[in-house]
Amino acid sequence: MSNTTQSKRNRTIGLAVVGIVFSMVALAYASVPLYRIFCQVTGYGGTPQITESGPTTAMSQRKIKVRFNADVNSSLDWKFKPYEHEMEVHLGETALATYSAENDGKETVTGTAIFNVTPLKAAPYFNKVECFCFSEQTLAAGETADMPVSFFVDPEILEDPNTQEVRTITLSYTFYRAKSDS
Amino acid sequence: MSDHTPTGWKRWAYSTNHKDIGSMYIMYAVVMALIGGTMSMMIRLELAEPGLQFLEDLHFYNVLVTGHGLIMIFFVVMPGLIGGFGNWFVPLMIGAPDMAFPRLNNISFWLLIAATVMLILSVFIGGGAGTGWTMYPPLSNSLFHDSASVDYAILALHLAGASSILGAINFITTIVNMRAPGMTFHKMPLFVWSVLVTAFLLVTALPVLAGALTMLLTDRNFGTSFFAPEGGGDPILWQHLFWFFGHPEVYIMILPAFGIISHIISTFSRKPVFGYLGMAYAMVSIGAVGYIVWAHHMYTVGLGVDTRAYFLLATMLIAVPTGIKIFSWIATMWGGSITFETPMLFAIGFIFLFTVGGVTGVVLANAGMDIMMHDTYYVVAHFHYVLSLGAVFSMFAGFYYWIGKMSGRQYPEALGKLHFWVTFIGVNILFFPQHFLGLAGMPRRIPDYPDVYAGWNMVSSIGAAIAGFGTLIFLFVIYRTFTAGEKAAANPWGEGAKTLEWTVSSPPPFHSFSEPPQFDAKPEAAE
Repeated sequence: MSNTTQSKRNRTIGLAVVGIVFSMVALAYASVPLYRIFCQVTGYGGTPQITESGPTTAMSQRKIKVRFNADVNSSLDWKFKPYEHEMEVHLGETALATYSAENDGKETVTGTAIFNVTPLKAAPYFNKVECFCFSEQTLAAGETADMPVSFFVDPEILEDPNTQEVRTITLSYTFYRAKSDS
Repeated sequence: MSDHTPTGWKRWAYSTNHKDIGSMYIMYAVVMALIGGTMSMMIRLELAEPGLQFLEDLHFYNVLVTGHGLIMIFFVVMPGLIGGFGNWFVPLMIGAPDMAFPRLNNISFWLLIAATVMLILSVFIGGGAGTGWTMYPPLSNSLFHDSASVDYAILALHLAGASSILGAINFITTIVNMRAPGMTFHKMPLFVWSVLVTAFLLVTALPVLAGALTMLLTDRNFGTSFFAPEGGGDPILWQHLFWFFGHPEVYIMILPAFGIISHIISTFSRKPVFGYLGMAYAMVSIGAVGYIVWAHHMYTVGLGVDTRAYFLLATMLIAVPTGIKIFSWIATMWGGSITFETPMLFAIGFIFLFTVGGVTGVVLANAGMDIMMHDTYYVVAHFHYVLSLGAVFSMFAGFYYWIGKMSGRQYPEALGKLHFWVTFIGVNILFFPQHFLGLAGMPRRIPDYPDVYAGWNMVSSIGAAIAGFGTLIFLFVIYRTFTAGEKAAANPWGEGAKTLEWTVSSPPPFHSFSEPPQFDAKPEAAE
């Protein structure tokens, strides 16, 4: 084989491998939106479902305990707590819970609440109809606001063998300073 | 081709010769191993007794752990096995005159030096990066590491990754295009197979790390929120991306070791490797399955039970091709005319230690068990058995096997054997008790511990001292080899050594195989 055909063949293979490298970088970045969609669709990692309408199935006689947790990231000088720490709801019943947030700081701040439910495997059955966490919340200095969330637990949770033993679901919020405000 | 042989510093700095670049990689790996090893000795010194005796600054302990991990993985094992032995012996074994892109080869090496400078700089900025080699956010976020140290570490990994990717492109092209006439893929030596599979893993895994590191860099400096929940990101995504790279990475470190061990076992048993094709395709399947098991590093992040069951099963599956390799090495020795020169001792030591690490790996593959063992010293013992003892033993084995070929001088046999036994005893005393510590619940990456763990920690630190003494013997071996080593014959190992590198003189001429050798298609040549 002559030297020129050899180096031409080398260049072809080399460039093909460079192509692999760049497509893998692209794949790494593509994984970011794919991962987000995957979590939203499957409830993976405790991402609760968001529905426009209420429950589609009939209300069940079975009840489940929902506990409410509230945290504030150190970037915010807020007080944030639920009015009720837990409530019992029927499966398929749309319930309303309210948190209270108070800005203890000296300036108007916008916060955004990040949420998940535990056990994580209950997330596909935990549906939020309306929630303060769907949008950013702005509080003036010293302002207090009520923050409601309406939700229901899908009776399908009884059908899933992995969630048979779930009697309590914890809904957790953490308020961060919104990225747009920092 | 001209016989032009550059001299002086230009020979090295401008080198495009695969042998010189290979030598530089090996010397570089030895130097970095001494630095990374010193860090581990400082860690074991602190851990010898409960309480804080030597390292008052706890962040500095984290920096040591991080530096030790990064240096040993990216700056010792990868340059040593792939850059060093790969550069030296892949062209020789396939009868090629050099690598396909010699100047690219030079860039690969010097990028690594630039990466090292970046990593050293990161230690001196803001107290250094104490993130662990996995660099999980939020610990690696600007909230917890607000200086530029983590940025420098990220750039160091970017450069080291670029260096490895360029090297891998070179290896793939060389192996695909430049084999001697008659050497089909199914007649390639197993070390060449191992480097080919490793190179494919490098070009597919490292870009994912590069992407994830860039996301971390922009999260830290430019206000993106790939891994920040307040901006809609998810720190768990980092773990997925990192381990999608990280798990193939451990095979990147061990597959070239498999190749070296196959040659040595065959040479000193004076038999062809048992099940050549099975050995080659075992490596291919280890590489392929290595891509679909990453979440076994993340059993505790809250994966669903079905997901964990899948990753458990897929992980266990890797034990099958690995078992094929262990079995075939033993079957190669079976009935062979075995002699126990130093390379063979290290190779058998490798098989033993790697099997121990493999067994604990199967234990850890169980998601239920791993919930208990996660981040304990059991995991530390496991991956040091497969990497610190596995990969490093294969590097020593390769060193003793090929130093006569590379330098033209044989190592002193008695000192080599002493080095093996001191190291073998030292590392086992060092790492075996860590299984007990892990089972008892001792967490990793913490510089202090309750008194109940004191006994085995002291034993482990004594083992570290013995292994450290073994390293001094190794340095003395290098010294004796180059000052008083006997002249090595073209093939010092006799009839068992059949690959092409033994057909050229020791050391080989600066330019070898300018005319491709006619590869002899004897079946026994295929090992």
